[in-house]
Amino acid sequence: MTTFIIRRLIQTLIVIALLSYFCYILMTLMPGDPVELMIQSNPKITSADIERLRTLYGLDQPGYVRYFNWVSTILHGDLGYSRTYRIPVSEIMGPKLWNTFILSTASLVLALLIAVPVGVFSALRPNSKTDYFINFFSFAGISVPSFWLALMLIIIFSVWLKVLPAGGTYTIGEEYSSWTAEVLDRAKFLILPTCSLAYLQIGRFVRFTRSAMLEAMRNDYIRTAKAKGMSYYTVIWKHGFRNALIPLITILTLSFSGLFSGALITESVFAYQGAGKLVYDSIIANDFNVAMVSFIISVTMVLIMNLLADILYGVVDPRISYK
Amino acid sequence: MKKIIGTILSSVIISVSVFTAQAAVSTDELKIGITQEFENLNPMNMTMVASFYLYNLAGRALDTMNTDGKWYPQLAKSIPTVENGGAKIITVNGKKTVQAVWEIIEAAKWSDGKPVTCEDFLFARTVADSNNVSVGSKETYTQIDKIEWDPKTPKKCTFTYDKARWDFTQLGQFYPLPKHIDGPVFEQYKNVKEGYDKNSNYTKNPTMPGLYNGPYKIDEVKLGSHVTFSPNPYFYGPQPHFKKIIVKLIPNDSTLEANLTSGNIDSVSSLGFAFDKALAFEKKVKAQNLPYTVMFKPSLTYEHIDLNLTNPILKDVKVRKALVFAINRDDLVKALFEGKQQAAIHNLTSIDPWYTDDPKYVVKYSYSKRDAGKLLDEAGWKLNDKDGYRYKDGKKLSLVFMTTAGNKTRETVQTYLQGQWKAVGIDVQIKNEPARVFFGDTTKKMRYGAMAMYAWTSSPESNPKPQFHSSQIPTSANGFSGQNYTGWKNAKVDELMEKLEGEFDAAKRKAMVGEITKYYTDEVPVIPLYYRADIAVPPTALKNFKLPGHQFSETNEVESWDIK
Repeated sequence: MTTFIIRRLIQTLIVIALLSYFCYILMTLMPGDPVELMIQSNPKITSADIERLRTLYGLDQPGYVRYFNWVSTILHGDLGYSRTYRIPVSEIMGPKLWNTFILSTASLVLALLIAVPVGVFSALRPNSKTDYFINFFSFAGISVPSFWLALMLIIIFSVWLKVLPAGGTYTIGEEYSSWTAEVLDRAKFLILPTCSLAYLQIGRFVRFTRSAMLEAMRNDYIRTAKAKGMSYYTVIWKHGFRNALIPLITILTLSFSGLFSGALITESVFAYQGAGKLVYDSIIANDFNVAMVSFIISVTMVLIMNLLADILYGVVDPRISYK
Repeated sequence: MKKIIGTILSSVIISVSVFTAQAAVSTDELKIGITQEFENLNPMNMTMVASFYLYNLAGRALDTMNTDGKWYPQLAKSIPTVENGGAKIITVNGKKTVQAVWEIIEAAKWSDGKPVTCEDFLFARTVADSNNVSVGSKETYTQIDKIEWDPKTPKKCTFTYDKARWDFTQLGQFYPLPKHIDGPVFEQYKNVKEGYDKNSNYTKNPTMPGLYNGPYKIDEVKLGSHVTFSPNPYFYGPQPHFKKIIVKLIPNDSTLEANLTSGNIDSVSSLGFAFDKALAFEKKVKAQNLPYTVMFKPSLTYEHIDLNLTNPILKDVKVRKALVFAINRDDLVKALFEGKQQAAIHNLTSIDPWYTDDPKYVVKYSYSKRDAGKLLDEAGWKLNDKDGYRYKDGKKLSLVFMTTAGNKTRETVQTYLQGQWKAVGIDVQIKNEPARVFFGDTTKKMRYGAMAMYAWTSSPESNPKPQFHSSQIPTSANGFSGQNYTGWKNAKVDELMEKLEGEFDAAKRKAMVGEITKYYTDEVPVIPLYYRADIAVPPTALKNFKLPGHQFSETNEVESWDIK
């Protein structure tokens, strides 16, 4: 197992290095650069200014030189400087990644807490009225556009009922008397985006859980377990659900890999200070340092979560072994 | 995609908006919504429009342009001119130049109580001159060769300019930097690439007392989210009426509307609603008697179509003129913008002091299908009755028309114009690209085939040299750095623009600009379309709020904003 993990970690590092190079070079090939954006907003910029700024930013260097300069900076523990915001990347990304992590985790946990029991419940009553009802809401969750749902929530809870804030991350200018007051204030701003994101995930998770559970409950060992006189709950959770876990682990670990990537539309509509919009804007504005750091985080999360999934397969299914 | 989402969101908001708006604004707090991103508020590094909007709540220049389009002193006691004796034309090393005495008002102080002096202006100029500092328009600062003063009068500064230029008083973006705070930082990092930018107190500690000299100081900055302001007790002018101003970034303008109507923000700035959204919201305000005013004001943003003069068809001026005759711009602005944006006749907008519609200087093209057809006939493009298009030597009169993909207004205008050109036998092929490709590659390298629609934003009385001078035609030799994307060459226009800078007589200057305008409208390198409007939605209770229509934001007058 240890050899397997070490081997996979080395592969992960190689993949990150190769992908980061190709991604960086692809970004340099995109038309426009940060100076182009400055020209559009400042008609007084002269040709001399353009040349001077391109030299200052190193944009006159070939792509591979810029890439190795960037790698060298990263290896020295400096994430670089954001061209868009003109502050160090760590200062702009750190809080936003944390906010995104909180939002994504809250919505994922909420979605799982609802979807897994509901999916199992639905699978145990296939083709019943309850099953149809659950399926209807699951498909609605999968199909509903995220911006529409987000806006409906704002209109109902902020505009009509006025019980929750329409957007933001916390009350601006509030001086908190205690950390609990701060947590409660932030929680108030999290409710709508969390519900919005969770609903979109619930449908997917319910469908996966239901299908995996239906498949597992059809197996001979379930009939054997029942025949041996095991209790209803033991048959379902110990034999049925455990075997249904393998496909669920795949989708769950993939969902976990997106914990830091952010949800562009939800974050934008709720003006939530997350990483999703930051990453989108950084790519659009050729803000290389921000875009590359977020890219590295995304790739690392996907690879690590895939590794975790492989390890978990072995844990839940003893037939799977690693050599 | 974003536009489609925006449209659906707008429809949803409009269809379900049966709520009561909350606009109980008081002088305790004013929450303003913007949709545009802002950056670190070091005046030396700022490039985004929203950053200037925010900075002007807290920082002032020697002078600026007010919302009525007139220059007025801010940190200066008065604006020195040759006429009032504050400035003179001198000769230095055989070169004619200007020397002006700028006197800073006695009460001008930084937000830590230290006086604003000539030293702060010299420091700003020194920082801007460094090749290691990221300054957008360096010339804004380096147009002043020397800043001198007598140590006994540290607020009386003598500026010696690099050359004799008529606009030497227009220093609206020459912001001083507090030397007593940022001087040591610059000294430490001046030899490091972007060392000052990364370590300036504006970057590391933006709420530090002493960084600002305007009516407000900054209490909190969250990039990508909001900035909070409170009154600066050391402000030289009257104390502002609002005890707190919060400017919130809400990137989606449909959500911005929901925030406004739910009371989460009180006002939408000029950096908020898109034109179509504002039109829809204005109707709602009227229908539901909401407590907001939707304001429109003509701006200096000029929407136009560049004609690629390297295109063999467009080399013929008759074809270019026919293209203008064939479109009805008055109908266009009425049909699409309900008359709230004006049809353009040339590059100068109606709020620019250089604007003229004098037939002596402007060749006008009133909509006339007949004149368009006649010109095309003369150019050899004959109408084929079978398909309704024109041909010359067996070749169809077909032009590629490009703009930024996803811009709903531009795409609608494109379709409108395509129909009008078709009516005179011109086949127009629409080919749009994402903005970054369109601006980053296509227009920059003049690869737009025949026509490119976009906008220029200029300053009032701005020399159009970057867009019109033949030396500014982008080529591989100059690294595609010029902005004359039409490839227009006119020796007389080049000469006029070069002379314009040194002409101190306002009447003569206007006549020279008139001459340029005459060539511009006669040779038609560009099809003028319309002048865009600036839009804001303040609460009706807010008084003294005015839209500027130019690049100096409304926040320059924030101290006069009050509640009725």
